[in-house]
Amino acid sequence: MTLILDHVTKTYTDGPNRFNALDEVSLEVKSGEFIAIVGPSGSGKSTMLSIAGALLSPTSGNVLLAGENITGLSSKEITKRRLEKIGFVFQAAHLVPYLKVKDQLNIIQVLAKKRVKHGSDLLTHFGLQHRLNNYPNELSGGQRQRVAIARALMNDPQIILADEPTASLDSKRGQDVVKLLAGEIKDRNKAGIMVTHDERVLSYADRIVTIRDGKIVKD
Amino acid sequence: MFLAIRELLFAKTRYILIGLIMVLTASLIFIISGLAQGLSADNASSIQELQADLLILTKDAEGELTKSFIPMGEAQEIVDNQGDEHASTLAIRMMNATRNNSQQQLDIAMFATEPDSMLMPKITEGVSPTNQKQVVADTTLKQEGVKLGDKLTIGEASYTVSAFTSGQRYSHTPVVFIHNQGLDQVNAIAVQGDAHVEGSFDVMTKEDALQGIPSYSQEQASLNMMIIFLYVIAAFVLAVFFYVITLQKREQFGVLKALGANNSYLIQGLMGQVVLLAVVCIALGAAITVGIGALFPSDMPFHLELVTMLKPAIIMMIVSFIGALLSLYQVTRIDPIEAIEGAAA
Ligand SMILES: Nc1ncnc2c1ncn2[C@@H]1O[C@H](COP(=O)(O)OP(=O)(O)OP(=O)(O)O)[C@@H](O)[C@H]1O
Ligand SMILES: [Mg+2]
Repeated sequence: MTLILDHVTKTYTDGPNRFNALDEVSLEVKSGEFIAIVGPSGSGKSTMLSIAGALLSPTSGNVLLAGENITGLSSKEITKRRLEKIGFVFQAAHLVPYLKVKDQLNIIQVLAKKRVKHGSDLLTHFGLQHRLNNYPNELSGGQRQRVAIARALMNDPQIILADEPTASLDSKRGQDVVKLLAGEIKDRNKAGIMVTHDERVLSYADRIVTIRDGKIVKD
Repeated sequence: MFLAIRELLFAKTRYILIGLIMVLTASLIFIISGLAQGLSADNASSIQELQADLLILTKDAEGELTKSFIPMGEAQEIVDNQGDEHASTLAIRMMNATRNNSQQQLDIAMFATEPDSMLMPKITEGVSPTNQKQVVADTTLKQEGVKLGDKLTIGEASYTVSAFTSGQRYSHTPVVFIHNQGLDQVNAIAVQGDAHVEGSFDVMTKEDALQGIPSYSQEQASLNMMIIFLYVIAAFVLAVFFYVITLQKREQFGVLKALGANNSYLIQGLMGQVVLLAVVCIALGAAITVGIGALFPSDMPFHLELVTMLKPAIIMMIVSFIGALLSLYQVTRIDPIEAIEGAAA
């Protein structure tokens, strides 16, 4: 199992009120498996993705990443796990505005203290070979999201997490991006989790998990 | 530095603008330092350069050379006690002089001491006085038209300028070194090495004596105040600049942290930018100051050497670091969860 959420609860306290954004959620994702998470607004989708991505620590329960329980690790160690084992695709691509496309990928190598080996193969694979020296503001929304997917693959992660990757795209481009993401996850045998509101992209997922009020109601 | 350099290049304009402010501030700091240095020399180089370690003054002079009056006989006794190899009397009088019987009045500071005194300055031109009627004048008197061999009338007496010396100014006037024959009182006894006196006398260092020169400490204090303000301004300008920039980049920092950048990497980048900006701006400021200094008229009290520039340069570096501290703190506080829409606190 690449990712296991084991009875994960996330509680927010607001004054005297305690509120479970996630309530005893358990989920397993295998390599090569692509899961879509759906549910109404405020149901806890982003919270779950953040915990799976080691951006947020659960109030109780365990997160196992490639067999390792990461719940108790120091924040420094957790940052390292994100760098080495997790790939993110964010809602608004979230590219670094002052980096050229090729450097959007190279920065991952730099952070991992590896030799910069130019992610140009990856970018060629994504049809971006003519855009290597462009800045993000010179790209279309779809191109930006493709760069973001290439960046997520750059560290050869165990798992790829995407929070509404199609939110800033029209439906055709959104479908293309999710198709690409699903294809890469299959080809490279990664585990993938995508939070989405977009019904039309659900067909690319192997499993659809519905969450409501912090609980998984359908799997 | 991968990120830091690329960002500097990408956002050139804003860094050039802040750099400009830094360059101007640095130039101003250097120029005022040069003025402070120059005025200090103009006011007191003769004391700073005095070939002595300590000065003996009367107690009731309260550290002011010109308020200390020691009868010649008593002064001579102290000199003898100290050993006249290592001690000399010193009388300082602010006087008017006229040159070759002309009407023009010249302000001079008369330094009277024993003819073979250790206090006699190094001669840069002419020959050492051989009799009581010959004097050594500071070279800045040349600007008033005084030449070797000219007759100077000081008070009632007439003298001949037999030599020039340099770097001997007191209270913004050129010093003239004169034989102390016939004086009935002096202001101080200058001593090399240790001084042992008691009773109605005080021993002070040359540095302490500087503070007793009229207007010396006020002049220096007001200039130093300006310099300190400029340091504070430089620190604030940098602090505000990097604070605002860091606020703007909050989301980017969140994303980078989510991607696995740790605090120390981001801090290194920020500090790298600060160091680069500070070093370039300070160097440019120094270059500009040297250029401006060359344009100043030669009689302007402006002294700037590499060594005197080093101190303000180092302080500006330190001040820049202090300015960046706030942003460093900000960066460490940014939570990577901010990269996920809607999940941020
Ligand atoms: N830092 C926080 N403090 C308190 N409550 C929070 C915090 N973050 C999220 N919540 C609450 O937790 C619940 C789940 O939030 P989450 O962002 O996971 O929802 P979501 O399913 O992603 O919604 P959406 O579809 O609108 O993005 C919401 O009710 C939200 O208000
Ligand atoms: Mg959400």
